[in-house]
Amino acid sequence: MDLFELLNFYVIPGIVLGSIYALGAVGITLIFAILRYAHLAHGDLATLGAFIALAAVTSLGISPLAALPVAILATAAIAVGIDKVFYNHLRERPKIVTVMASLGIALMVRSVVQVVWGVDTQTYTRGIVRPDDYFGLRIRDREIYTVVAMVLLVGGLQLFLTRSKWGKAMRAMSDNPNLALLSGIDNKKVVMLTWVIAGGLCAAAGFFLGLNTELKSMMGWHMLLPMFAAAILGGVGRVEGAVLGGLIVGIAEELSVLVIPSEYKAAMAFAILLFMLIVRPTGLLKGKVL
Amino acid sequence: MRALLSMENLTGGYGDADILHDVTLTVAPDEIVVIVGPNGAGKSTAMKSVFGLLTIRGGKMRFDGEDLTGWAPNRIVQRGICYVPQVDNIFREMSIHENLEMGGFLKKGDLSAAYDRVYTLFPDLKERRRTMAGSLSGGQRQMVAMGRALMLDPKLLLLDEPTAGLSPRYMEQIFQICRDVRDTGVAILLVEQHAKQALAFADRGYVLAAGKNRHEGSGAELLADREVAEMFLGG
Repeated sequence: MDLFELLNFYVIPGIVLGSIYALGAVGITLIFAILRYAHLAHGDLATLGAFIALAAVTSLGISPLAALPVAILATAAIAVGIDKVFYNHLRERPKIVTVMASLGIALMVRSVVQVVWGVDTQTYTRGIVRPDDYFGLRIRDREIYTVVAMVLLVGGLQLFLTRSKWGKAMRAMSDNPNLALLSGIDNKKVVMLTWVIAGGLCAAAGFFLGLNTELKSMMGWHMLLPMFAAAILGGVGRVEGAVLGGLIVGIAEELSVLVIPSEYKAAMAFAILLFMLIVRPTGLLKGKVL
Repeated sequence: MRALLSMENLTGGYGDADILHDVTLTVAPDEIVVIVGPNGAGKSTAMKSVFGLLTIRGGKMRFDGEDLTGWAPNRIVQRGICYVPQVDNIFREMSIHENLEMGGFLKKGDLSAAYDRVYTLFPDLKERRRTMAGSLSGGQRQMVAMGRALMLDPKLLLLDEPTAGLSPRYMEQIFQICRDVRDTGVAILLVEQHAKQALAFADRGYVLAAGKNRHEGSGAELLADREVAEMFLGG
């Protein structure tokens, strides 16, 4: 196998998949850091976002990329709503209660998707897209969109977290929640903001998975483990770590096909997750210890 | 003398157990008041009671002519009392400047006057304003913590053992800063483990034991009191 074959068939798809994981992992890491629980409905929320984009494409007749902002806004609103209706009531209870509740939300969201859109495989656009040739590298437009969108969204989030007052308040709440309250930071607003961001990124993750593969009601659920592996690999609470983790998990999954049967691709994320938890639970970039 | 803060016959604690029994205490607008006492005397609890962090079952808390009993912490902050906890009192993964910014979170509009005030009190911090607070030494962290609490121009600053774990040099520095802060018109109520040094520097002191008032008076008076001396000299 030559270098271009390795890049074209394994590394480039790995980067694209990794970018999708990164979008989800950033939300997971933020929820972990600020709300302090593992959000198991993250994958299914991504599925919902992907299908909302599909609804926008089919009913409004807009292009998939134009449907992305619609899906982001709608999913962000739904995430805030889910928090208000369900998780908010469990805030004072042990965190494991919320983790279990989020598993219930995952099933509910998936059922809604299955009832509304059915269980069949769907796509945003019909037909086969042939990759363009860039000096021997074969890349599809949608793959470029995926990586660029990930960089823009996460870069924008980083700017927000480091430059704006409310972004800093989110970091403060993650850093030292008691002191944040003593400083008069309104934790309800920070929680809401966290859900807006996590929900929006979820929709983007689902959308790009759908754009690069197909839409299925289980698509997000299957992404949950890799997204968690990415968040923990990068270091919980570290946005840039989640991106790094996402890319590593994505590339590792694609490369694993070289040595193990492709049906076991998903086991790669699990192996990375297990390895990190044993060897370096703070993640690559020093994050919170779980 | 008009009292800025007055605690009258305060009884309360965490959950069902009362830790404070009939504690009475006042702080005037321009003085440093220290609470000393043996371990478990309820010193920190007395301070936290100001901040509504425990259940109050009896007595009253008045601040600047208003009854504060049962207020939520963020309302108390807005009213002009800022609190520096003993531990975890900084945002470790934020820069010094961002720590101060969070301290001034509730302030509307321009923060530059508040930054100037804090950086004048703590010139060391100004030089290192981009440094992560978590990488600072204990004494500098305490300065960041105090600086954060001063951003809202409080009328009263509550310090919970500000010199715990600090070297004598830093202890003296923190005490000096407390005097400087008082001289800008901020009253200070602090809890101290280093009773002798604290009584020597404070304007007035209260000795608490087993959640009750034992002695009160000026720092010098308390230091001269035999019973108080015995309490702290291993008696």
